[in-house]
Amino acid sequence: MGAAGSKLEKALGDQFPEGERYFGLENFGNTCYCNSVLQALYFCVPFREQLLEYYSSNKSTGDAEENLLTCLADLFTQISSQKKKTGVIAPKRFVQRLKKQNELFRSYMHQDAHEFLNFLLNELVDILEKEAQAAKSDQETSSPPEKMVNGPKNAQANGSHKDPLVTWVHKNFQGILTNETRCLRCETVTARDETFFDLSLDIEQNSSITSCLKNFSSTETLNAEDKFFCDKCCSLQEAQKRMKIKKPPHILVIHLKRFKYIEQLGRYKKLSYRVVFPLELKLSNTVEDAESEYSLFAVVVHVGSGPNHGHYVSLVKSHNHWLFFDDENVEMIDESAVQTFFGSAQEYSSNTDHGYILFYESLGTINKS
Amino acid sequence: MFNNGYNNNNRNGLNSMSPTSSSTTTQTTSSSSSSSAATTNSQTQSLIKAYFKTPEGRYKLHSEKTRPPNLLPYSYAKSISQVTVAQLKDKPSQPALTPSFSTTGVRSAAARLLGGNGGKALSFVGGGGYSKTSNGSSRSSHFAGSNGTHYTNSSNHGGKGFFLVFNVGDTVYISDLNSPDKDPIKSLHFSNSNPVCHAFDSEAKDGHDLLIGLSSGDIYSVSLRQQLQDSGKKLVGAQHYNKEGSVSSSRCTSIAWVPKGNGVFVAAHADGNLYVYEKSKDGAAESSFPVIKDHTQFSVSHSRSSKSNPISRWHICQGSVNSIAYSPDGTYLATVGRDGYLRVFDYAKDQLIFGGKSYYGALLCCAWSPDEKYILTGGEEDLVTVWSMEDRKVVAWGEGHNSWVSGVAFDSYWSPPSSDDTEENIVYRFGSVGQDTKLLLWDLPMDEIVVPLRRSSLGGSPTFSTGSQSSHWDSTCPVGTLQPAPSMRDVPKLSPLVAHCVHSEPLSGLVFTEEAILTASWEGHVKIWKRPGEPESKSNSESLVGTSSKDQPLTGKGYSELLKSKQLAESKSNNSKTLLGASSKDQQSLTSKGGVFNFKEMSKSSRLGYLP
Repeated sequence: MGAAGSKLEKALGDQFPEGERYFGLENFGNTCYCNSVLQALYFCVPFREQLLEYYSSNKSTGDAEENLLTCLADLFTQISSQKKKTGVIAPKRFVQRLKKQNELFRSYMHQDAHEFLNFLLNELVDILEKEAQAAKSDQETSSPPEKMVNGPKNAQANGSHKDPLVTWVHKNFQGILTNETRCLRCETVTARDETFFDLSLDIEQNSSITSCLKNFSSTETLNAEDKFFCDKCCSLQEAQKRMKIKKPPHILVIHLKRFKYIEQLGRYKKLSYRVVFPLELKLSNTVEDAESEYSLFAVVVHVGSGPNHGHYVSLVKSHNHWLFFDDENVEMIDESAVQTFFGSAQEYSSNTDHGYILFYESLGTINKS
Repeated sequence: MFNNGYNNNNRNGLNSMSPTSSSTTTQTTSSSSSSSAATTNSQTQSLIKAYFKTPEGRYKLHSEKTRPPNLLPYSYAKSISQVTVAQLKDKPSQPALTPSFSTTGVRSAAARLLGGNGGKALSFVGGGGYSKTSNGSSRSSHFAGSNGTHYTNSSNHGGKGFFLVFNVGDTVYISDLNSPDKDPIKSLHFSNSNPVCHAFDSEAKDGHDLLIGLSSGDIYSVSLRQQLQDSGKKLVGAQHYNKEGSVSSSRCTSIAWVPKGNGVFVAAHADGNLYVYEKSKDGAAESSFPVIKDHTQFSVSHSRSSKSNPISRWHICQGSVNSIAYSPDGTYLATVGRDGYLRVFDYAKDQLIFGGKSYYGALLCCAWSPDEKYILTGGEEDLVTVWSMEDRKVVAWGEGHNSWVSGVAFDSYWSPPSSDDTEENIVYRFGSVGQDTKLLLWDLPMDEIVVPLRRSSLGGSPTFSTGSQSSHWDSTCPVGTLQPAPSMRDVPKLSPLVAHCVHSEPLSGLVFTEEAILTASWEGHVKIWKRPGEPESKSNSESLVGTSSKDQPLTGKGYSELLKSKQLAESKSNNSKTLLGASSKDQQSLTSKGGVFNFKEMSKSSRLGYLP
């Protein structure tokens, strides 16, 4: 491990970014799905910084109960405070906590990295919301008059429909989609907003992320069996439907639906399609004429030909260098090597390393009015 | 049909675990349109049609060229195959021409050959080849073999004809375009590094006409004819430049002869530099250039030593220069690169004329219109961009590829269908190929470019306006500046005329020849799509040039006579350099007077049909 570390340090030389740590993560038996996502999140700088900030400010308020958030914060702190610049860390507490928390991840089976990312982000949000709730009720008990005034409202908030609390996890990852449906009879457009932490895209052979995003937002006609119940017409009607991005997230996470259930086979199959992803991306399927430009900073790669086995690695861009994280190993790679993870142009290729989750960070929105 | 629990959970791409829906609408379930689209798409890819239709008729798959079938996948997986069409003319040592033969017919043949229909490396480097006069008169050369009866070229590798040069893995293959044979006639192995780009100069004076750039940065110049005459698998008589990366050890990404440059060529590298070499100079000479201080700034350094080869270095940008193209007469040099910028330089003055950013992502390819007025680029935002030299900015975006655009080219042999309308209107035809395995053909009618407005409501048809909608559209950009990416709504959109799946793997480039469109795939498969037959009414231009080769059957006596007259014309031009210069100049002035780009009208209705 020391040798690998020094090799990376040698490769970077003077260019080793100050204060940055590049640590591999030990594998506890099929925990690569976890390691690859953790590396991507660690190098999601705004997320990391806010998590570390949360950790240091919460530390002072006394030892809270251990949960996934504290375990993650602990792990990130452990990495960032290492004396050495490179090496290997065992994310033992985090993985133990994860397995305790969710049955799904308890076995030694191959797990889906996207499911893990989803679970983790939602779990973090839940924890933060609960903490905020607790803090709020503490405040409320100390100030009874306010409670009286807001009584009914709070009752509602505590019920099924919570006040949308915007945590720092939301600020990083949450975007809003709007689902517009136009009844073809009365022309009424019904818009429904939905929040998302990532976009899951259907993929096609020899296509691009741009094209997949376009398909995602393409207009779909609801007819025959799939008519739409129009509130105005009070009946099932033919309609046109499309998804647009109302609020682009700061960190855009794109999940390629590479694991597809094939009815004829009665099982999931991995689609090894070649889907190219540019290092820079713009979302043009937005509601407003805001064209947000994104830059790719991490890719979680699935290695293997099937959905139930294989390996996960990640590519990460840090301070303009691309790094390759494979559990304990960390290597520097050339930017041009990213394109070897696009997929296979033809079936039955020897290349089984396919980009699976893409992480783009917003470079700021250029609002053209 | 492929719908299931997994997909339905995520069918709108939503994160299924967290949506907080704030809606009152009834949720509907339907089969996902995108997944059914995926199914049809993969079906069409397995059935590649052997023809495609255009307004002027059907393009048919004429023949294919490929690498030997027994190659192992790992040997070609590492580099992307590029194709160069090379035209070898008669050897200079042909008998002199007797004066009595200088008839109009011979002159036209000479003009055609001087125009250099062939030597283009996926971009129209080098002038000519687009004279309408010569267009109509000569429909001979590279498909002669397909008629079967008069195919004589197969054993005559030292002779003339059209050849395909393409790289696969560690090998450069050469195929005879005339031959119906799929397999290459020659392979050249490189032991240390893979060949990645090449260029051919049909006007080369002293033999060395083929340039080959390697992934190691090394560059070779050779005589194509000499390679064909040799039986070995190694380069013979090669001149070696940038030996073992002594000047630049980064990959040579694109290489081009300077048109009319007397053997000067330019090599682009992945480190953002261009190096200018003279082929006559000893390639081994040491040369050193000052350290580049600011990698984001354009700078030109000329070598201090007169012995140095390269003679100069152009630092273009940070990151790779992906492709370069000279304007047909060599005045301008266009470059595209990793940073997403197109840059156009005045080559002789070492000056940036203008530049502009892609919508997003890197640009991968570029090409000039034959009249040097427009530049095409293709890139990682799946768009084909048309840039105007006059306005120094983007004038249109072609939307139609489903993946990155890897090759673009104007069709300089195409002319719009005749119409009685006398109104001056210019229509350009161009093509593009992409990693979506598709060939797209486009028409660019310059007076019909419109600015699309925003869609007013869901699903409503977009409104078009021919007026000026934004500052982008109004202004001409100042000289010497780099323009930021325009906004999506500010740029007029084009829709393709044809979109045809031509291979089952990503494409790397296309070449328009007089008779066909050549498409090349990454793994070294080249398809030749023959142009539709000439409409009967188009024969009036023939009277201008006397003997019409087109009217002659390409078999038997007629074809051999044509060959004879071609040889005579060529030997005439080859024997006297001054005549060569003069006649090519003549041809140019002829074309600029309106021979070429006096495009005829297209009918209004069909033109409107092409717009989005």
